Parts: sequence; structure tokens; C-alpha cells
Amino acid sequence: MRIGSPKETYAADEALFRTRTQWAWFGVLLAALAGFPFVANLYWLYLVCLVSINVIAVTGLNVLTGYTGQVSLGQAAFMGVGAYTVAWLENHTGSPFPVNLLAGSVVATGVGLIAGLPSLRVKGLYLAIATIAASFILLFIFKNWESVTNGTRGIGIEPPSAFGVALENPDTFYWLVVPVTVVMLLLASNLFRTRIGRAFIAIRDRDISASVLGIDLPRYKLMSFGISAFYAGMAGGLYAYFFGSINPESFPLLMSIFLLAAVIVGGMGSMLGSILGGIFMTLVPELLRYGIDFLGLFMENASAVLSPVRTVVFGLLIVGFLLFEPLGLAEIWRRIRRFFHLWPFRT
Amino acid sequence: MSIRKQLAVMIWPVAAAAMMVAGSAGAQDKEEIVIGASVPMTGPFAFAGIQFNRGINDYVEWVNSQGGIRGRQVRYIGEDTGYDADQSVAVFRRITSSEDVTFYFGDSTAFQQSIEPELERRDILMTGASFASEINNPEEYPMQFLLGPDYGEQVGILLEYIADENPGASVAFIHSDTEFGRDPIEGGKKMAEDLGLEVATTIVTPPGSADVSAAALELRRARPDYAIMHGYVLSPIPAFIEQARQMRLDTRFMGTIYTMEQGIIDQMGETAEGFLGVMPYRYYYDENADEAPLLQTIREMHDEYQATTYTQGWVAGILMQRIAEHTLDAGRELNGTNMRKSIEEMENIDTGGLIGKKFSFSGNSIPVGRIYRADVSEGRMVPVSDWIELD
Repeated sequence: MRIGSPKETYAADEALFRTRTQWAWFGVLLAALAGFPFVANLYWLYLVCLVSINVIAVTGLNVLTGYTGQVSLGQAAFMGVGAYTVAWLENHTGSPFPVNLLAGSVVATGVGLIAGLPSLRVKGLYLAIATIAASFILLFIFKNWESVTNGTRGIGIEPPSAFGVALENPDTFYWLVVPVTVVMLLLASNLFRTRIGRAFIAIRDRDISASVLGIDLPRYKLMSFGISAFYAGMAGGLYAYFFGSINPESFPLLMSIFLLAAVIVGGMGSMLGSILGGIFMTLVPELLRYGIDFLGLFMENASAVLSPVRTVVFGLLIVGFLLFEPLGLAEIWRRIRRFFHLWPFRT
Repeated sequence: MSIRKQLAVMIWPVAAAAMMVAGSAGAQDKEEIVIGASVPMTGPFAFAGIQFNRGINDYVEWVNSQGGIRGRQVRYIGEDTGYDADQSVAVFRRITSSEDVTFYFGDSTAFQQSIEPELERRDILMTGASFASEINNPEEYPMQFLLGPDYGEQVGILLEYIADENPGASVAFIHSDTEFGRDPIEGGKKMAEDLGLEVATTIVTPPGSADVSAAALELRRARPDYAIMHGYVLSPIPAFIEQARQMRLDTRFMGTIYTMEQGIIDQMGETAEGFLGVMPYRYYYDENADEAPLLQTIREMHDEYQATTYTQGWVAGILMQRIAEHTLDAGRELNGTNMRKSIEEMENIDTGGLIGKKFSFSGNSIPVGRIYRADVSEGRMVPVSDWIELD
């Protein structure tokens, strides 16, 4: 049982990791991440890479939707902007991949700032519709700006290489995507220790009071859109490198809804929620395959018969979380943690 | 016990068993030939995916009952992708990480494009649901082959038929605004001009749109003799033809492979009468089944009608078999690179009559097809041309 963790300075109160135990666990996590490629096969590494890309996109959306309270259904389209920028730079300038990824994120940020302009006048559902419109406009551009995007045929992208090693397989790409994800998550967590992050939260809780407190609403709302799109651009760029080819159908509206669902299932306004949401939405459909494998022992042709069931179960799990755990997976995590903190006493 | 605890108790055995299943999949027989597949058994393409899966399954059952491929048994592992490229890749990774896969079946152009480098690394030969012209390029996609003519060639076969039946006729292209829809259009226009046909108009419809009245009006202005519709499965073709009939247009509508399923007659009824299209395979009820031993096998296995996508699964299987046999007979090891050589060398390939003509691959595709017409009174597709092979 933990008795208490006294804080003697403001800095200690704001720290990301407040106790030694937390630092220790963070170290364990990093070690586990570093050791994972040596024990896992390519399938699991592929899934971890995919989860990482999704976690970056979900984190961006969580900054905007979970922390700032601005609903957006344009995240997938911003990912597309990042992906196309990376693809264009890679194929036309041959600049190194870190430059391309950053450029993709910056271009996405610019587009995000423009797409965020309606947020200055409207909010809630109206804003959601405005972002859908932005998403459709971007998809139209992906399809029709042939000279850059190669239209509906899509573009192929060569894998990036670092120190002479081509990062073309999940086992090598892992070393790019996982560190980037960790850095992006640390940056986002730190954001909420600053004035900017607190301004976002104030806007979410009550924009009028935030304005009274001296927060410049247009500036911070747009900043939130920009940061969110930056994350989407990074995720999109990594996606382009990871899959090696993109086309306008790689970033459908459905993907934005998927990301928003991940934010809600994981926990709005929680970094841990972004991680857990990204993991849940990506991995659960895959894990349900093992259920099918298992049932395949007892019935013939299980994968054909049970595949629709898998989709239904996934849907029911999402509904279940919304009903029974509206604060998301992050809340379950907190409850488990509390249990161990208070053990042997009951909560 | 609380419900939570009960659940927890129930979950453990399931999880343990699932792990055992995952572990046992690693054991494999060296002599075995494994066919992996990412198939869309749910999602928008499920109507075809379920049939691909059944077709390949039945083929494998049949080939094993015949003693396998040169004595090697064949095993098929297909998993659902929901027609999502991320999931298709996940399924590919999942299957290839535990199995020594020789052949793979892919479910979409996007997936087949993005997995090519991985196929080259693992030396796996792939075919699949895509007929994209882009994949019909052995330089860029050496590890893939198509199960028929690519979309451009399908349109080419239709145009040759038109030029033959009605020289100098006018043709309209109607296509959806998707990668699938746009694929053959530019090439098709050029080919129409080369064949001396007039391109009356090109109409693009937004993906998934059901309201086609504006597009139908555009068609009325152009009044073409033929309209080639591509990039759709069924909707909005019925609405389109119905409106054209109301406007007293006598345009003849044509479709490509995924439109030419029996369903177009069953669902459109009278409106389907006279609909033309290209199909590289024999229909289940083909009248010359005596020329097609494999079609007879399919009929023996199933009394009722089987979809063309089911036949496509069989064609995938039998072509993999022919390529593997050629490779083994040449004394080469069974891998993608050697099988690529076989594809280039093979001549007079016989699919047990499922494709009505013996052929050689042209690039990655099989440029053979036949024009069928929907005959509503008979309730089936009847051939109106011989098997056409593009040069």
C-alpha cells in the first residue's frame, strides 16, 4: 500500500512521473519495447507498427477532441496530406526520411489550420460536419491533382533506409516507428504541463470562461487543430512508408470515425486513453481471430462462418465500453492501479 | 462467485487453448503446398470473397482427392479481411509467419500493390481478385498474375465485339470515380478510336451514388449505340438502364467481369434483358460442359447454381496447379522466382475448360474472354460470341 507522495515544489506537482515507482515502470516499458523485436515474429511486429501509427493519429485527435473539446472527423484526411507529402518528397527530391516526415507533418499542420477555421464560429455537431466537408475536399484533391497524387492509381514509395539498412520489414521499421511514437507521446504529455495545454482544457470545459480568463480563443483553437494535424501528418507519413503505396482510398472518412472511436473507447482527455484506444481498436479484431482458430477445432470452415460474427463481437465490445465504461479504458486502468495502491484494503 | 470472477474463470481455458492453436500451426509438412489467402468475407466485397473462399476450398478438396499436385498435398488457409488493406496485410503477415506459403490469394488492388516487395522477399507467387491494368506489368509486379484479362483488356474485348458487330458505332463510357472505375477508361477511349468507333461521351459517377438522373440525361444527349459501364457491381446500373429505357434510348449497355454475375438477371428482372458483358469463365450452366471436365466436377459437387466468383476461386487453384506442375517438371524448386519463369514459358494452358480456350499468359494477364447476353426469359447468360483472344 502506498501511503502518500508528498510534493514539495510546484515542479514536482507537475512532473510527468511523480514517484520512483513510475520511473521504474517506465524503464521496464522501454526495456520491453526494446526487447520485443527479438522475441516476436513478423506478424506481431506488423501489428505493433500498425498500432503505433494509429496511436500517433489517435493522440493527435485526442489533443483536439479530448482535451480541447473540438470534434473533428478530418483526421484521416490530414493523415493523407502527410502521406502524400512524404510520397512526393521521397519520389521527387529524394530527401532523407526524417526531413520528409517532418515536412509531411508541417504541411498537414498548415492544412489543419485552414480546416480549423470554422471552429472559430461553430462547435459541436456543426464543427463535425465542417470537418467532414474538409475531409471530402481533401479526398477530392487526392483523387484529382494527378500531377502530384497520381490520381486514383496511387503512388508507390520506396522504404526509408537508416545507416544503410532499408526499413522495409516490420522488424526493421519497428525501430523507426516505436521511438517516434514514444517521443510524440512524451511531447503530447508535456504539452498539458504548459500554458497552452491548460488553455486547451479551459476551452473544453467552458469556452466563455476561458475567454474571460484571458485565453485568446481563436489562437488556441487553431493551435489545437494545428497540433492535431501535425500528429496526423506524422502518422500518415509513417503509414506511407510502412505500406509502400498509397491511394485516395487509403484514407477514407471511415478511418476518421475509427480514430474518433479509438479516442472515445480509450478515454477522452487522457494520454493513456490514446494509447489504450489505439491498441484496442487495432488489436481486438486481430485477437478475435484466435477465437475463430479455437472454434475451428470443433467446426469445419470456421473462418468463413464466423468472420461476420467477429465483426459483430467487435461492434458489441465498443458498445459495451460506451455503456459500462464511459470514461474509457483509461478509467479501467486507473481502477486497477488504485486497487494495487490500496491493497490490502478495499476501495 | 461474482459475474466478473465467473467470466475470468471462463476466459482462461479459452485463452490457453487459443495459444495452443497458435503454436500448433507452426508445425508443417515439407511436402505440403500451402495456399494462403486474404479474403473479404465481410464488408462491401463479401459477396465475392465468400465465393472465392468456397471455390478455393472445394478446389483443394478435389485436388487432394486426385492425389495432390505431383504427389504433394495442398492445404488452404484463408482469413477474413473485411476488404480493408491494413487487415489484408495483417492476415498475410499472420499466415506467412507461421506457414511456409507457396501461393497467395489477394483481395484488392491496394493490397496487391503494397505487398509486392514482400512477395519478392519471400518468393511467393500471388494472384487474386484484382484485374487492375497496373498489376498487368511483369516488370513492376513479377510475383503476380491475374485470373483473366485486366480491366483494360476486358474493355478491349467489348470494343472488339462492338467493332465487329456494328462498325463505326458510337460508344459511351460510364464509370465510377474510383481507382477501380477509372482503370480502363483512358486506354479504352484510345482503343475505340483505333477500332474506328466514335466515343460519344464519358460519364463519371461519384462512388456509391444511387441517383443517376443527371448522368442519364447526359447519356440522352449523347445517344450512343453502346454504353460500357465499369467500376460497379450492381447499383446504380439498374437505375441507369431503367431511366434510359424511359427516355426511349436504344443504347445497349455493357459491363465487365464483376457486373456479369447471375445476380444482375435475378435482381433486375426485365430491365436486364439484352445486357451484354465480358466474362472469362464458363457459367455454371454452360451448354458445352462436355468440353470442360472441371465444370462437370463442380456440377457433381453442387447441384445448384454456383457464382462466377466461385469459379474464379477454382481458376485460381487450377492455375496455381498448372504453374507448380510446370515448375516441378522442369526440375526447379517451387518458389516465386522459378514459377515466374514458368508463367513466361507455359503455352496452351488448360484450365479444365473453365476458361473456354487454351492460352498463354500475356504479361501477367490472360487476355481471353467471351461476350454474354442476359436472356431474361431463360433466366441466364447466353454466349453471343466465340472466345475472343486479344493480340
